[in-house]
Amino acid sequence: MSKGLLSLIASLVLTFAPVCAQEAAAQQILPGPLVKLDIKDAQVMTARGKPKAALTIAQHFALDPGWLDPLEHITALTQQHYDYLIHDAMIKPMPQGVYTYSLAERAEITADFTRAAFRLRPGLRFHDGHLLTSADVKWTYENYKGVHAKTFRDKLQRIEIVDDRTIIFHFKAPFVEFLELYNGATTGIGWIVPKHYYEKVGRDGFKARPLGAGPYKFVSQEAGVQMVFEAWEQYWRRSPATKTIVVKGIRDHATRLAGLQTGELDLAYGMTGKLLPRVMTDRNLRWDPNFTGPWWLMFPGYNEPDSPFHKKPVRQAVSLAINRQFLVRQETQGIGIVVGNWLSPENSDALKGDGTELPVPEHNPEKAKQLLAQAGFPNGFDFDWYVPFVPYFDMGERVLTDLRAVGIRGKLQVLEGPAFRAMIIRGRKGYTGNRTIVQNIDPRPGVRGSIGVYAVCGASASFVCEREIETLWSKHQESVNPDERDRLIKAIQRTLIEEYYFVPIYWNPFVAVVGPKVLPEGKAVSRYWDTVHAPYPWPWEVWEVKE
Amino acid sequence: MKRYILTRAFYSLITLWLLATIVFGMVRLTGDPVKMRGEVGADAAYLDQIRRNWGLDKPLHEQYISFIGNLLRGDFGHSFEKSLPVGTIYFERFPNSLKLGFSAFVISIVLGVPLGMLSAFKVNTWWDNFGKVIALLGLSIPGFFVGLVLIIIFGVELGWFPVLGKGPSAFVWGDPSTWVTFWFQDWHYLAMPAFALGWYFSGAMVRITRSGMLEVLGSDYIKLVRLKGVPERMVMAKHALKNSMIPILTLAGLNLLVMVNVAVVIEVIFNWPGVGQLLYDGLSNRDFPMVQGVVLMSGLMIVVLNFVIDALYGYVDPRIRLSR
Repeated sequence: MSKGLLSLIASLVLTFAPVCAQEAAAQQILPGPLVKLDIKDAQVMTARGKPKAALTIAQHFALDPGWLDPLEHITALTQQHYDYLIHDAMIKPMPQGVYTYSLAERAEITADFTRAAFRLRPGLRFHDGHLLTSADVKWTYENYKGVHAKTFRDKLQRIEIVDDRTIIFHFKAPFVEFLELYNGATTGIGWIVPKHYYEKVGRDGFKARPLGAGPYKFVSQEAGVQMVFEAWEQYWRRSPATKTIVVKGIRDHATRLAGLQTGELDLAYGMTGKLLPRVMTDRNLRWDPNFTGPWWLMFPGYNEPDSPFHKKPVRQAVSLAINRQFLVRQETQGIGIVVGNWLSPENSDALKGDGTELPVPEHNPEKAKQLLAQAGFPNGFDFDWYVPFVPYFDMGERVLTDLRAVGIRGKLQVLEGPAFRAMIIRGRKGYTGNRTIVQNIDPRPGVRGSIGVYAVCGASASFVCEREIETLWSKHQESVNPDERDRLIKAIQRTLIEEYYFVPIYWNPFVAVVGPKVLPEGKAVSRYWDTVHAPYPWPWEVWEVKE
Repeated sequence: MKRYILTRAFYSLITLWLLATIVFGMVRLTGDPVKMRGEVGADAAYLDQIRRNWGLDKPLHEQYISFIGNLLRGDFGHSFEKSLPVGTIYFERFPNSLKLGFSAFVISIVLGVPLGMLSAFKVNTWWDNFGKVIALLGLSIPGFFVGLVLIIIFGVELGWFPVLGKGPSAFVWGDPSTWVTFWFQDWHYLAMPAFALGWYFSGAMVRITRSGMLEVLGSDYIKLVRLKGVPERMVMAKHALKNSMIPILTLAGLNLLVMVNVAVVIEVIFNWPGVGQLLYDGLSNRDFPMVQGVVLMSGLMIVVLNFVIDALYGYVDPRIRLSR
């Protein structure tokens, strides 16, 4: 009798517990009208498998232990490679959406954008078993020193901890970009760091031996060379499928290919280039195009009257001179896609450069010559430098050859990576004179962020300063209406392309290659690259390899 | 003798101070690491904060005083790029470089010295020509090419040797059990990079051994030994080789230092985690503390070696210590 009663109670508890949990999750935190947020639900796997085998990854540069600390997050997407291994974010990009619930099960923002609230999932823990609570979320926000830290600090009025799982951020003024910046795609502030551990081991200690709440536990590292991670089976979403992940920093392209061919590596990045044909003909290797951002040209100082690029027809002639299809074949074995926008089509608010919203750029050298003649350059002209993104010097030479064919003659400036970055980060001040073309690529997510960096007067890397764009940008910055903001951001894009301030080339594949150990077999392996804006194939817990 | 040693020690310290000052100034001429690190779009406040963290917001003289002060305490500073103390990273890598450098050194001696002797002994014969060709190839084929060919043939095609890294063995300063085992493990990882590195230096060894031997073999005392009817093998081994060893050993010592400290290309190709890669990464990323640390440690080794050699010269040859 009592046994039957107990089983009845147990079954009632099992039936109603998830319902109660769902109700709790759905319960509104903030009073008043809220912004409608498009945040996807996490996919939680109830059946827990046993992690097995090891995946060895080759990163294409030396590894930085600083990447293991979200509090000092850099702008580069590379750091997220490690965020997704060890740490977990409140909200982060996942295959199902750019905004996907992770540690948070609910997020709210008031309609006036002055408050944002989150509710954590129940029972979250760090790798050492310590509970992850709203106190850790608050501490992470308050101690964050990475990119955009000042914005977060300046906007914040106070943080209110409602209970162990609920937290409210109060802002001094409408903080419209909060969710975009707090999302794991952009900064490190949403990747939660364990307060108790960080305070105990300190900044260096944390970088040397980090601890988080992500799917993999840190095991060991040799600074710059190798990092080893082990599956954390208690991860809330699912058990990671692979037991051990080893990341090696391997700069040399040929060495990465050799490592894949000998089976010492299972995954290597940055394989676009001269060895790509060898990858494509190797029956043991598979590759994913892994599109990042489009290449585009910029003209520092074009708005000065004595610049040869001052007149729109000249900039248009530059665009018409480039044989993009040939470039795509030579540089990417035909994988790249010619597009008419400088922003990745993966951005939902980017105008499509495939002919639907913006035209696909044409190759028409004759028309280019006519435009040059109309602009007062019947015999073409000499310009100073063509500065390609490092190390894409072959591509730069090919573009220069196309430009010379219509009479636009310049020299290639070969820089090393840091020197190129140091120049471009200074914007107009980075380039002397006004007779230079810069070839750039930037896979950062978000149209607003890219425009704010490259296309606005006085922005850090901007060569563009146009009254029309400034007006649109100011309205966009002042607006709290999502539809209006979307319309304005698209108008700016159209102006940038139609006035040839930017000349897009093609959407670049950053080819990644996997070895025979990686499951599933065949082309299905491309599913690992489903997360948008991800130059690397996270989340890691889904990766499977053969034993 | 005591005064002589103290004078040499004083000169060594002055050399190190000059080196530290020069490297401090030179790295700062290569550009602003904050801008390079900051990436496009980083806000000014973020860049200012990085500058403060790295101590680059202070005037140059303050940076210099702090740099020298830290050096005197044995602190090379914090790596900008790798976010950890330079000393920690350097000493983690140094045993790997020593292992690679010493193995390459042995290969260069084993290949170079006997071949140079044979060339000199059988001068103007087929053997001599063979030795000259090897010397020429050793000096003219770059190490990265030899490395890539080895990788393709013995790594990828034949699968005899792994192509990446140094293997799982590690030298851990805090674990005495690794201090011995480290040198004798994972030799299959070492074989190709050591050969590629040693190959270049073996060419130089062939040439220096051959020319040294020829010079000695043409000397009067060797003629006398031969006239006395000493067997040719004894002439070579006991009289000629011994006396031609001075330039060989001098070159070998310098080669060893170079192989340990700046085997940059070979380390990059084989992904060997040595100090050469640290220097390369440091230079590429304007990691001032790392470049300063690696250069100063290399300089320290050279200065200490020279000091020891000077001291030994003074000990074995009184004319030297009296003349200085």
